[in-house]
Amino acid sequence: MTADRQLLALSTLAFMVAVIPAVRALLSGQWRTSRQWLLMLAGFALQTGAVFLRGETVRQCPMKSLSDVLVFTGWSVVLLYFLVGPTYRVSLLGFFTAPLVAMMQLLAFAVPNAFPDYAAKAKVDAWVELHAALALMAYAAFALTCITGVMYLLQERFLKQHRIGGLFYQLPPIQGLALAIRRLLALGLVLLSLSLAVSFKLTTPISNPKLIFAWGVWLLYAVMGVVIWRHVLSPRQTAWLAAVGFIIPFISLWLVTTHG
Amino acid sequence: MAEAANATPQLVCLGLNYRTTPVEVRERVAFPEAKVPEAVHEVRSLPGFEEGVVLSTCNRVELYATHSLEDPQAAHESLVDYLVRRFELAQEQAEALVTYKLDAAEAARHLFRVVSGLDSMVLGETEIFGQVKAAYQKALEAGTTSRRLNKLFQQAFTVGKKVRNETSIQRGSTSVGSVAVDLAEKVHDLKKCRVMLVGAGEMSRTCAQSLLSRGAHSIIVSNRSHERAVEMATEMGGTALRFDEWEAALHEVDVIISSTSAPHFVIKPELVREVMRKRRWEPLLIIDIAVPRDVDPQVNDIEGVYLYDIDALQAIADGERRKREKQLELCEKIIEEQLAKFGFVKNP
Repeated sequence: MTADRQLLALSTLAFMVAVIPAVRALLSGQWRTSRQWLLMLAGFALQTGAVFLRGETVRQCPMKSLSDVLVFTGWSVVLLYFLVGPTYRVSLLGFFTAPLVAMMQLLAFAVPNAFPDYAAKAKVDAWVELHAALALMAYAAFALTCITGVMYLLQERFLKQHRIGGLFYQLPPIQGLALAIRRLLALGLVLLSLSLAVSFKLTTPISNPKLIFAWGVWLLYAVMGVVIWRHVLSPRQTAWLAAVGFIIPFISLWLVTTHG
Repeated sequence: MAEAANATPQLVCLGLNYRTTPVEVRERVAFPEAKVPEAVHEVRSLPGFEEGVVLSTCNRVELYATHSLEDPQAAHESLVDYLVRRFELAQEQAEALVTYKLDAAEAARHLFRVVSGLDSMVLGETEIFGQVKAAYQKALEAGTTSRRLNKLFQQAFTVGKKVRNETSIQRGSTSVGSVAVDLAEKVHDLKKCRVMLVGAGEMSRTCAQSLLSRGAHSIIVSNRSHERAVEMATEMGGTALRFDEWEAALHEVDVIISSTSAPHFVIKPELVREVMRKRRWEPLLIIDIAVPRDVDPQVNDIEGVYLYDIDALQAIADGERRKREKQLELCEKIIEEQLAKFGFVKNP
C-alpha cells in the first residue's frame, strides 16, 4: 500500500473512531466534544497528508477518478466543518460529519480501479484545477447543508413529539439550524457559480456530461435558494429538500468520473 | 475545656437544613451575607477552635471548623452555644434547634455531598456549588482558614466538578419553569427571544422570570385586568398590552406563555395559522399552563409551532428528576472513592 493510501486508511479509522465517543456521550448523557474534536483534527491532518501525497504522485490536484473525487470532497467537508461549525454553533455537526466522511473514504477504497494512475499531462491548466477544486468545495458545502438538514429534522421531531433528553440537549436551536441551512446553501451556490464562471475561461475543453451535470446541480440549488428566499416552503420542507437534494450531486460525482 | 496538646486539628461540622429544621427556625439563625466575615472570626475565636467557614443559604446553615479539643462532643456543644448566643435564641427556641453534628470523615463526606448538589432540596442543583465557593472565599479573605480547611474545601470543589463531569446528576430540568427555558433555548436564540404572557398568573410569572434571568430579549404582558398587567410588566421590565390587543401582536413574539382563566380555548388553529403566515414560518413556542387549557391542541400540528401544556411540562420535569435519582448511586460511589483518595476513609 502506498504512503498516501496508508494515510487515508488511518484517517478513515480516525473518523470511524470519532463516532464512538460521540455515541457513548449521547448514551450517557454527558456530552464532551473535546475527544471527538481531537479525533476529527487527527483525521483531517492525515487526510490532508494523503491528498498532498496523492497530488505529488499524479502531479496535479487529485480530482480525476471517482475515488479521488470522493476523498477530495471528504477533505473539503471536514475543512468546512472546522470553518463553519463554530460559526453556526453547530458543535454536533462533527457527530454527523465523521460517519459521512468515513463512508465516503471507504467507498473510495471500494470502487473498482480505485486510485488509478493519471495519464501524464503536458501542462497543468491552473483554470481547470481551480474550476474542479471550487466545484468540489461547493459539493462539500452541499454535504454540510444535507447534514444540517438532518439535524433540523431530528430537532423538529424531538420538539413536536415532546421527546426531551439526550440528543435534544446537544442540538442547536431549530431557528439556528434553519439559518445554517440557508447560509451553507448560499455558500455552496456561490462556490459552484464561481466554478462555472471559471469554466468560461478554460482553454482545455471539459467533457459535456461534466458541464451538464455541474449546471444541473447549480440549477437544483439555485431553485432551492429561490424557494428559501421567497419563503415558498416551510423550514421543515426546506430541510427535507437540503437533506434529500444532496443525492443529486452525490450521484453526479459518480456519473462524471465514471462516464465523463 | 480540655485541649489536646500538639494534636492534629479535628474537623467538625455543625449544621441544620431544610430536612432537620423548619423555615421559621432556619430564618432565625441565618447569617446575612454582610455578617459572614464577622461570624467566621467569632467561630475561630471559640476556645480550642482554629479555623472556621460559615455556609448560610436559604436551605441550610452550616459551620465548618477545626479544633484541638480532646472531646468532639465539647466542640459540637460549643458551636451550638455559639448559635444560641449569636442569635439570642430563647430557651424553647434553643431546644427546638435540631442540628446534625459531624466529625472527620463524616464532615468531609457531608461537604462533598453538599457541594455536588446531593444534599439539596432539588437533587443535583448547581447553585450550591457557587454558594459553597463564596462561603469559603469569604472565610479565606477573613483569614479564618488554614491548612486543613483550605485543603478540605479544595478537595470538595474537585469532587463537585468530578461528579458534574462524570455523571448526569446535574443535567436536565426538574421544574416547570426551567423546562420552559430549555425549550425556548432549543427553539430560538434566547437573547433575541421576545416573550408574551397572556394572563398574569403566578406560574406564568415564574416561567417568564426564568426566561428573563437566562437572557430573554423582552417581555409583553397582557391580562384582563390591565392594572395587573402593568404591575407585572413594570416588575419584570417589560411592557403591558391591553387584553383586546394581544392577538394582533402575537406574530411579533417568539414565545407565548398562556395562563388565562377562560373556560374555553383562547388560542385556536385559525389564529395561529395566520400568525405563522405573518411570521414567515419563524418558529413559535407556546406554553399553555392554564387549566382548563387555553390553547387548542391541534395548534401543535401547525408547522413551526411547538405547543406544550402543563402536563407535558410536568412529565418532562418528572422524567428528568427520575433520571437524576438513577444517577445518585454513581455519585455516592465517586464521593466514597474520593474520600478514600484523600485519606478520610480506607479504600471502599
